[in-house]
Amino acid sequence: MPPPVSMRNVDIVAALVLLPVCLYVFYESGTWPVPPDMGNPAWIPRGVAVCLLAAAGLLLVRALQGRSLTLPARLAGADRARVVWVAVLTGAYVILLERLGFIATTAPYLFGFGLALGERRWVRLALFAVVVPVAIYALFDVTLHVPLPRGWLF
Amino acid sequence: MIDLALLLEGFGTVLSGYTAIALILGSFFGIIIGAIPGLTATMGIALLVPFTFGMTPITGIVMLLGIYTGAIYGGGIASILIKTPGTPAAMATVFDGYPMAQKGLAGKAIGLATISSGVGGTFTALCLAFFAPILASFALRFSAPEYFALAVFGLSVTITLSGRSPVKGFISGTLGLLVAMVGLDPMGGFPRFTFGFAELSGGLSFVPMLIGLFALSEGFHQVEVIVTAPKVTAVIRDILPTLRDLKACLPAYLRACPIGLIVGITPAIGADTSAFLSYAETKRASKHPELFGTGVPEGVAAAQCGENASTGGDVLPMITLGIPGDAATAVLMGALTIHNLQPGPMLFRSHPEVVHQIFAGMILANIAFVILGLLFARFFAQVINIDRKFLVPLIFVSCMVGSYAINNVFYDLVTCVVFGFIGYLMIRFEFPVAPMVLAQILGGMMESNFRRALAMSRGDPTIFVTRPITVTILVLAAFTTIVAVRRQRQALREGSMAL
Repeated sequence: MPPPVSMRNVDIVAALVLLPVCLYVFYESGTWPVPPDMGNPAWIPRGVAVCLLAAAGLLLVRALQGRSLTLPARLAGADRARVVWVAVLTGAYVILLERLGFIATTAPYLFGFGLALGERRWVRLALFAVVVPVAIYALFDVTLHVPLPRGWLF
Repeated sequence: MIDLALLLEGFGTVLSGYTAIALILGSFFGIIIGAIPGLTATMGIALLVPFTFGMTPITGIVMLLGIYTGAIYGGGIASILIKTPGTPAAMATVFDGYPMAQKGLAGKAIGLATISSGVGGTFTALCLAFFAPILASFALRFSAPEYFALAVFGLSVTITLSGRSPVKGFISGTLGLLVAMVGLDPMGGFPRFTFGFAELSGGLSFVPMLIGLFALSEGFHQVEVIVTAPKVTAVIRDILPTLRDLKACLPAYLRACPIGLIVGITPAIGADTSAFLSYAETKRASKHPELFGTGVPEGVAAAQCGENASTGGDVLPMITLGIPGDAATAVLMGALTIHNLQPGPMLFRSHPEVVHQIFAGMILANIAFVILGLLFARFFAQVINIDRKFLVPLIFVSCMVGSYAINNVFYDLVTCVVFGFIGYLMIRFEFPVAPMVLAQILGGMMESNFRRALAMSRGDPTIFVTRPITVTILVLAAFTTIVAVRRQRQALREGSMAL
């Protein structure tokens, strides 16, 4: 099994990403109108931003001191490329869902998803890809009247 | 005090027509969700909330309660059969459940687990019905400063949800507070953190965000680490335990039930802690503690009873004070809000009949999963064998359908996917997700009541230190924070955590 990996780099990146977030909160809250007798609306967001900044700073310092957590030892078969591929597939699915329609988009999505996960029983996968969206459509759109996206196709 | 007439009426409502069907379906799906390793009760509730929109409020809520209690119980099935807990809370069931299965007693273990879960859950559901009206009537004295203090208290205990790193938990919580501020200012009406997008004026869509953070994120995690769970091969027979077996487990029930209630009431401590504590206490008090871990029925009974005994306690602060007890009740609270039922003491005044229907639903949900669990034990055992290569894509599609079903807008799908990926990264790099969600719910409560309190006092901040109940709650919040930080520093010194 691969040895545990330190999250030092991740913690440093996370802390550096949070810094501009906090600065933006300070900036935008300074532009808000201040009503009389109700307290400045910027107090709480700025208070939260200060706390977040302090926590991010602590995370950064600990990471630089080498005191970050380690990731659990990876399970066999962990595949980040698969996650990226599924994320891209899901993004395309969401964009096309309202344009093409639920069944027309979900069937190829499920087929591609199954391929990404290593399924190679083609008939079973094709049946799954067709039956599931039709069944969901029948149950939710037709029976429960929960409308699903209808696009150019179906 | 509990209104028995309303409670009986509540039973009548829950047991009639579609509500009864919803209860059974909810329990059924809840057990399935709990039985499959990797799926959690929170995920199940988040996924199915949108599908309750077409139902009456009580039908929808009862269905979700069925999912909640069924999923907590269902985790024990996988623990017994494949030594892998179906939900994190079912870890303690592995210790004696799996050895029982190895001895050829899988059926008996499942039967005991089912009835034990029902005993614990029903006990605390009855406690909920009894104590909630008392707590709610006390909370009716609360005003904006007290609600602000309650929100601060709730936020302070999110530190205990920090997992291995308190700093990361704190970061997660504060990010949740900032996310809660997106939208129009509640008092001034001007846009905050909307970046010019009109869609963000109403804030981020809560349910799609929940679905993304709890369900889709886990889906991404499953994609990365898709593991083939061991197949269930155990023969399941003689499921119904004998009276003698149940009598032997009685001492375990007498310990696990109050432990579960107290743990459940304490915010941010959930079913897993309850199960472990109940198991440990039963083992400690046993005449033969050395036998625990070898397949002792009392071990299974204690763990499962403690697990489900926490559910009533978790719902108690949520329904009486509007403070979620854990991530699952946070999602339940969101569901109640969507059905125009704002949890808190005013709910008892404005909709007492609904409150008692919820009590009845909680009690009946615990009975429902016992009946279903005993009747369909062999089916639920086979559910564990479902191929992940088909299950995971189904989860993704369900998330999309659920998110779209709320408002039928593209923006909700984007919210779900974006927060799904954020949630996945958080899980991957050990930033706990639950504090973010709890902080989001409590952050809005904290901010609006802070400003309302200042409006009450015409800008005088001493209002927060001159009201006795407010001061008491704030002191309790500080005490809880100090205890949590000291406990985590001790764990740090013992080398089990980073900072």
